Amino acid sequence: MVGVRANKAHRDERIALVFLILCSVIFVVGIGLVLGYLAWNGTKLFFQDHYSLLTFLFSPDWDSLNNKFGALPFIAGSLLATGFAIVVGGPLGVAVGVFFSELAPKRVADVMKPAIEVLVGIPSVVYGWLGLTLLVPLIAKVFKVEGDGLLAGGIVLSIMILPTVISLSEDALKVVPNSLREGSAALGATRWETISRVLVPAASSGLAVGIILGIARAIGETLAVQLVLGNASVVPSSFLKPAAALTSEIILDMGDAPDGSPLQHALFSMALLLLLISMVLIVLIHYALRKRA
Amino acid sequence: MARALIATASPEKLNSDRARSRRLLDKFMTGVLWAAASSIIVLLLLFIAYEFVQGWGALSWHFLTGYPSASDAGGGVGPEIFNSFYILILTLIFTLPIAVGAGVYLQEYAGSGRFRDLVQFSAESLATVPSIVMGLFGLLIFVQTFHWHFTAVGGALTLTLLNLPALMRVTQEALGSVADTYREASMGLGATKWQTVLKVILPSAIGPLTTGVVLVAGRIFGETAALVFTAGASVSYGASAYDFNPFHTAETLAVHLWSTHREALVPDADQIANGSALVLLIMVLVFNVVARVVGRQLTVRLTGKA
Repeated sequence: MVGVRANKAHRDERIALVFLILCSVIFVVGIGLVLGYLAWNGTKLFFQDHYSLLTFLFSPDWDSLNNKFGALPFIAGSLLATGFAIVVGGPLGVAVGVFFSELAPKRVADVMKPAIEVLVGIPSVVYGWLGLTLLVPLIAKVFKVEGDGLLAGGIVLSIMILPTVISLSEDALKVVPNSLREGSAALGATRWETISRVLVPAASSGLAVGIILGIARAIGETLAVQLVLGNASVVPSSFLKPAAALTSEIILDMGDAPDGSPLQHALFSMALLLLLISMVLIVLIHYALRKRA
Repeated sequence: MARALIATASPEKLNSDRARSRRLLDKFMTGVLWAAASSIIVLLLLFIAYEFVQGWGALSWHFLTGYPSASDAGGGVGPEIFNSFYILILTLIFTLPIAVGAGVYLQEYAGSGRFRDLVQFSAESLATVPSIVMGLFGLLIFVQTFHWHFTAVGGALTLTLLNLPALMRVTQEALGSVADTYREASMGLGATKWQTVLKVILPSAIGPLTTGVVLVAGRIFGETAALVFTAGASVSYGASAYDFNPFHTAETLAVHLWSTHREALVPDADQIANGSALVLLIMVLVFNVVARVVGRQLTVRLTGKA
């Protein structure tokens, strides 16, 4: 009797292990399929339609009716909006991360942490709608312009990356050993001196990971920027003029692109470009973490 | 540091001036950090207040349960709200077993090998795939290859790929919070590893696990870009507003907010968008509260820990 039960337990154990491994394999297969399918469909523009890769990347002419697929306006728009978000949201996020790790009394943190969780949960499209109805009119009034453009997109993205940067900065600072804080205080340093000269340098690679993930979040953001960028397929000459991003152009044009058309292929190429940027960012994160270890 | 030491050694007057300015800077920067943190709370409260002011007037029983209108004012979002929940539930049914399974494997079984690194790296990569890119992948697979057209199940499967990593991480963290003594005690009593996972570890981790799952569910509920080209931007007009056929097109509330504004076919598009935005925001708040309350209740009930 005992033997039968032990056998059953052993069999269950083996079946469970196979199931668990299969679950894990799905992740590998999943990313493999995504990469494979997009690599295949994202290069049709070049191999099937014989469009030049260099023209795609560096030409500012986008005119889908005349088969001109210069993606530079969107690449520039994506990079500039993301850059703005990092310049504004990055330091602010790190500052709040420092606040949570070093300053915040427990009761304050208990109130603010859930608030930041809510900020994470607000859908991208709601951020876009807030940007469109709240921020764009404000910019229009202050600068006497139309209102939509890279400034609006950059501000919305700055807010959207905050939770990512905050929580990763806090984590990065929390793992800095207390002996460093004590040593710095014993040398007579004020709290700010300890933060700025000891803790932030010690946590730099962890902080970098937060910023990189912020970049990844910002560059892939779609609806929030689509609603406020103004959707002009030109290389932006000013932060106050309408622009477009890779993501916003994809979602606007995909619905009208016939299956198998060069336009659809060009949009897949833009998606592939976004995917490659994300993969590069992931590799950068691994590099930053290895440096820490 | 060396410079600070030298400074202390310099003449007294200079030293006290220096100390005062250092203390002043410290106070100032403390203020800056407090201001930075408060600004985020102010921002959040502003968003919530603004949406309530803008959207409250749009909310009515008819709006929440009625059909959207093609060209006249007064359309509702009933099918969209249903579809949001329907796709969320489908997504969780697909995602949870896989994500929890992989989380259990990585946390409890896989030591530190190449396979573990590969799965972890794949998960991180999947997690950074932009939502719209995943949407195009769903379009390629479910719409163009399988010829399903825009379907609820196609949308749910796309969201599955997008959210597997987050739920796996939730599982890993929840399991990591269970003390090793539990594992040792269970194995010491002769339980196999799988029995230990099923009867000891997962029940002890159920509180944080539930909290994490509900928070991710809140994010799935508001997902938009991945659904526009997989679940579609229109609803099917069937016998009832609640269409359970997973192979029908299924516009969610978040997609509706976008498409209504984009198409601007109805005269009250802005009003509908405001109402939809408010419903989405309220749902985010509800998911957050539920996550915390249920997670805490389960922890107390199943582990006796407060």
